[in-house]
Amino acid sequence: MSAWTLTRKDLAIYFRDPVGLALGLALPVALATVFGFAMGAVGGEEAAPRVRLYVEDHDRSPASEALLQALSEQEVLRIRTIDLDDDEERSARDRVAGGDGPAALVIPAGFAGAEGRALAFYRDPAKAVELQLITASLVPALFQARGEELALRAMQRGLDGFALSEVGKERAGQVLEETWSRISALRQEHAAADGEAHAFDLGSFLPSVLGLEVEDVVGDGKADANRMGAQSHSVSGIAVMMLLFGLVACGGTLLEEEAQGTLDRLRLSMGGSGSILAGKFLFAWMIGLVQLALLFAYGAWLFDVPIFRSPLALTVLSASVSAAATGFGILFAVLCRSRSQLEGLSTLVILTMSALGGSWWPLSMAPDWYQFLGHFTLTAWAMDGFQGIFWYGKDLTGILTEIGVLLAIAVLTSSAAAWVWSRRQGRA
Amino acid sequence: MNETAAVFARGLTRSFGERRAVHGLDLDLPLGQCLGLLGPNGAGKSTTVRMLSSLLSPSSGEVRVLGLDPVADRDRLRRRIGVVPQELALYEHLTGRENLAFFGRLSGLGGGELRAAVDRGLQLAGLTDRAGERVKKYSGGMKRRLNVAVALLHRPQLVFLDEPTVGIDPQSRNRIFEVVEELRREGTAMIYTSHQLGEVERLCDRILILDRGTPVAVGTLEELEYHPDVPRSGGLTLRFEGDEGARRALALCEREGLACKVEAERPGLEEVFLALTGRELRDGGDA
Repeated sequence: MSAWTLTRKDLAIYFRDPVGLALGLALPVALATVFGFAMGAVGGEEAAPRVRLYVEDHDRSPASEALLQALSEQEVLRIRTIDLDDDEERSARDRVAGGDGPAALVIPAGFAGAEGRALAFYRDPAKAVELQLITASLVPALFQARGEELALRAMQRGLDGFALSEVGKERAGQVLEETWSRISALRQEHAAADGEAHAFDLGSFLPSVLGLEVEDVVGDGKADANRMGAQSHSVSGIAVMMLLFGLVACGGTLLEEEAQGTLDRLRLSMGGSGSILAGKFLFAWMIGLVQLALLFAYGAWLFDVPIFRSPLALTVLSASVSAAATGFGILFAVLCRSRSQLEGLSTLVILTMSALGGSWWPLSMAPDWYQFLGHFTLTAWAMDGFQGIFWYGKDLTGILTEIGVLLAIAVLTSSAAAWVWSRRQGRA
Repeated sequence: MNETAAVFARGLTRSFGERRAVHGLDLDLPLGQCLGLLGPNGAGKSTTVRMLSSLLSPSSGEVRVLGLDPVADRDRLRRRIGVVPQELALYEHLTGRENLAFFGRLSGLGGGELRAAVDRGLQLAGLTDRAGERVKKYSGGMKRRLNVAVALLHRPQLVFLDEPTVGIDPQSRNRIFEVVEELRREGTAMIYTSHQLGEVERLCDRILILDRGTPVAVGTLEELEYHPDVPRSGGLTLRFEGDEGARRALALCEREGLACKVEAERPGLEEVFLALTGRELRDGGDA
């Protein structure tokens, strides 16, 4: 009863303090917005971080223009075309060598001709992540722009595998070219109903040629599924990180009570000091729920985070995350002797936990040892749970492990806090 | 041990590591009396109050407060005592009424009893008219008065007042004196610590002087004035009501060849101030 009275008092003070409200509720919303936009969570064209690719087009043919067009349609690429008529402008190769960008593509004169000169690709090996993104975009762009030629070339290369004699190779090549010419002619003749001769996009049917049946098993088959994954991750990540900051601050009200002398008054009025801790726990836990609810509602409104996929699972998980973060915050508060000590120590630990636990980037991108280490933080379990619901559509039974671990963390940290607190009060 | 004692202590000691904050304190405070606790900074006054009010465990010694052991019977004792801390132990974002109601609820009051206690507290603090304002808007004097009122909500039998008048105007101080005097009339026992010797002289029945954690003297003001270690000038004071008595005594002294002088009693600066500015509270609160 007295714990609830203390909780009500703290809630009243919390919602009357504009600075506290700004830090506790508005700041997480602002950060989630910034991160959301930064991760390309809004708008299809800004769906992913963009990497610069310098391009020189010495061929200036319809084929090279088609390739440039296909490259510019790649979401992750920001194409910077070098003006070859400008004598002042540095070459694409020099720019990469000078550290201006991770890679450059040079389309040589004769690229589209009969000799089919090879593209030159210059890269900076130090920028490995950007290079992976560029390579991953370059292949589909080439398939899209040069699909027909690439398909023919692939078949020609395939003939080499048959170990034919020179004569046999020559004849097989002739058959292939004749057949390809006929198919091309038929293609022009029987263009699609809209009358346009569509580009030959090798990438779109390559999986079936290879005997692969491709199916997106998450994301509900939506075209912008990758964007939704990034959205839900960034909102969940900010929510968990800011929850930790917010609830450490709530736990810190214990230190404020001590500094302003009200703690003694509470001890005199409330009987056992355990009630004080229980009141603070309840207060922080409720603020945590409000914070999460606000952020997820905001995420659903702005970034389409699917918060209604499993409302029960989301509610139970949020309550568990809030309980674990509250236990963590209260433990820190009773371990520290002053507010400044609490702020310094908790900032260090929370930022480390956020980095290790996957608040800032998906843990799946990290090495195994990093993922293993990350799961010693409550952040990782919270992120697994939220991503399980938002992205993988899990229900309550699907996230029982995460909930169990989070509740165990809540019990452990709260028990440790109660033990430290009772020892401190006993010494007083 | 006297069962009717508000406080009984023998050899009360509290150490913090190697440092002894209070050492070998013997103390008797009968119910209904006010004990003044004096001493320079670091003398052990606050440590004594914290031990007697169950906020701090003694390192050794025997102590009973209202017949209870402050350690073993802590929860029962806390319901029967009130503590006015030296700090302004209030919530600035809550109103005066909310502060009183909050601490009243924690003290186990509810319903009509709580409302009555809150109204009484506001009246006692002279804050009925400002009850709905947040404490952060209160003046220092208003906060001090509220700080006292919070401790009295549940009508405790023993009240500890730790420098309750620090940094406030004479009107607010006077109101706190009135409250203390009212408590004395009601038979509430009190332990009052202050650096203002005049306050202790005015309000307390007995005085305990602590120095470096050790009691150096205890007794009524008169007993302390005649303490063997206090040097005396040898002069005596005769008090007369009106001028006539003084004139005749002066004439007698002159006739007998005795040295004496007559001085009119002076009211003191605080009395002058209150007479000129009035005793009513000046912070917009009710008088």
